[in-house]
Amino acid sequence: MAQATKGKLNYRCPRCFMRDIDMDMFYDEKTKQYYCLRCAFRGTEEEVIGLNEQFKQKYGRLRQRVVDFGEDNEPPKFREHKAGEQ
Amino acid sequence: MQSQTELTNNESKLALNIIHRPELSPEYAEKALGGKRDVRDESLDIFLFQQETAHKYGLKTTIQITYASLFSDKIVELAKEHHDKYGDEIGLSLLGLPCKQFKEKYQTEDFCIWMFDEDRKKEIVDDCFGLFYEKFGFYPESTGSYFLDAFTINYIKEKYPSVKCAIATCWEEGPKAYHTCNNSWYTFMDGGPWNPWIPSKVNSHCPASDRDDDSGIVAIPHLSRDLLACFDGNGSNFGTHPQNVLRGMIYYEDEKGTEYPYLYNLIDQYRHLAKYNDGFCYNMMFVGPGWLNKAGRWESPYERLAKSYDDAMKYYGKLKQKGKCVDMTMSELADYYRETHPNYKRAECAMWKDILYGSNKEYFWYASPSLRCCLDFNQGGAMIDLRPYVAKIPQKVGIGTDNVYDASYPYIIQANYRAGYFTHYAGAGTVKSCKIHYHGQTADLCLCRTMARYEKTDKGVKIVADPVTVTLDGLDITVRSIFFFDEETGNMMTRREIVNDLHGEVVTLEEYLTGGFGTTEYQPDMTDVSLWVYTNCCGGGLIDYEYKGRKSVGKIYANACLPSIHTQITLEGNEADRSSTDYPDEFEVEEGIAFSPVFHLRARKNISKGGMETWLKLQKVN
Repeated sequence: MAQATKGKLNYRCPRCFMRDIDMDMFYDEKTKQYYCLRCAFRGTEEEVIGLNEQFKQKYGRLRQRVVDFGEDNEPPKFREHKAGEQ
Repeated sequence: MQSQTELTNNESKLALNIIHRPELSPEYAEKALGGKRDVRDESLDIFLFQQETAHKYGLKTTIQITYASLFSDKIVELAKEHHDKYGDEIGLSLLGLPCKQFKEKYQTEDFCIWMFDEDRKKEIVDDCFGLFYEKFGFYPESTGSYFLDAFTINYIKEKYPSVKCAIATCWEEGPKAYHTCNNSWYTFMDGGPWNPWIPSKVNSHCPASDRDDDSGIVAIPHLSRDLLACFDGNGSNFGTHPQNVLRGMIYYEDEKGTEYPYLYNLIDQYRHLAKYNDGFCYNMMFVGPGWLNKAGRWESPYERLAKSYDDAMKYYGKLKQKGKCVDMTMSELADYYRETHPNYKRAECAMWKDILYGSNKEYFWYASPSLRCCLDFNQGGAMIDLRPYVAKIPQKVGIGTDNVYDASYPYIIQANYRAGYFTHYAGAGTVKSCKIHYHGQTADLCLCRTMARYEKTDKGVKIVADPVTVTLDGLDITVRSIFFFDEETGNMMTRREIVNDLHGEVVTLEEYLTGGFGTTEYQPDMTDVSLWVYTNCCGGGLIDYEYKGRKSVGKIYANACLPSIHTQITLEGNEADRSSTDYPDEFEVEEGIAFSPVFHLRARKNISKGGMETWLKLQKVN
């Protein structure tokens, strides 16, 4: 069996990423899967992308823009971010 | 070039440093490319792209020339051209040492200037500065690295006095970065300031206490980082470094491409810090070329990496156009900082809010020549980080010292490394908070979420938390916490006030500090620690630490002497008025046990109205 290689885009292990570890994965051409050297994760590119989208759910303000930082003792005010806007 | 007067008149604007370094073999790119491409040419292309992007949006830069690029006539000429045409400053970076010439000359794969032995540090500094002079005909005004220790700064300032600004730390880069990089990235430099500061001659983490202690430079951090997300999590995902934001996957896709409003929110929160710092606010962006390599990085293709850099420059350019930002070179920033910060004792403050997760968490950060600390209002104002800057711990770092790579400034409290309020079944974590006792029941303000207001006073900074109510055996007890940082003495006051009518019921307030010391999650041996409570000239109690869980009670104060970090920490009442009704009834010290290697300082008072005032005093010992 041929040795594994780095896959395109340097995908990190999504399971390790969820525990704050940046672990580049390697690609097994035979199974068409990425796999992790540190944990037992293995999965297709599609599965990796899906898990990465799950990861982003912890960022509750991912799509929001601060309008006003408000008074010290109140949370900032946000609005939905519009495509292309800064 | 702008005059100093113009810059001073812009004091409520964001002071901005854009810094680029041409590397000819950036460590990230070499790994990522796996030696398959010509890193040298690619790195030059990336540097050009960064320069062109900044200039496109009307921003001047500081070009930090690396050792490797001093051997490139092309880069030297380019730097001169951009200096003449755009006003870019040509500085000298002590990053980017690795190259064929360096490795052959020094016979090493090491590349972090602070990790070499002292003789080698001097040799490399002289080599870099000498070569720089040879190529440019002058010595630089700015330099930097991921971290610069006091030894290196002092040597540079002595030999090359033109240097007045240096990149000298990565904020909260330590065990968290090490873990994130699969325990392979040895940049341990936790515990420094997050914004520009004047480093002490003794320890570069500590702001200088006076002119005699002034190292002669203004230091800046390597990135402007999120003061909440970086403390709670992996520091490398949350900074004004667009590729860090991509690394953290803090973006989404839409019809216009990749969007990262968090990056703009982060820059804006740094602008907001002007409110707490006499109008001064600062941002810097320093993206090494490895982050923009053509093979892509962190799941992002090159196109997204490049777009994020362009978008960041575009946003700074827009702020500049609107008169909300002033782009400066590093040496200009140093002059501006000196002008706007004439008082060494004036602290840097940040009331920092969560702009990412959707919580209402709020931290207050404070850094003065006496201490750095963080109050967490999601835990009632509990102190979750404490660094005794007053000790100016004369740490040496590098080969031949006791700290080959660990340059972090020690903590007394670090609630994430050392548990804080929540522990598993036994022991206690490092934190400073207040407990309220009534009829055998207890509540800790760590479990009372609130927010707070900042107030500048003549003598320092006052932080007032919104009152919280705890209910014990049916009795509602409403408590307001007030924190005061005395700039003159460096001491910190905490006042806990009962603000509702307890109808004569008596409750016990217990202010406590659970501390340890170290730079990582692991506590060094504590047997040199001594704990002391004082009652009067004839009475007190001394405990030499032996992990036996012993306690001692006294009337006037409680303290812990921590020789390993040259610090004595004291919890006391208002020493100017020991008969005050706010003075605690008693103090207590307690040693820890092997399973929970910490120490405890406590102050208690039984009250039905009014409050209790305690002072935290840090002193240098040894």
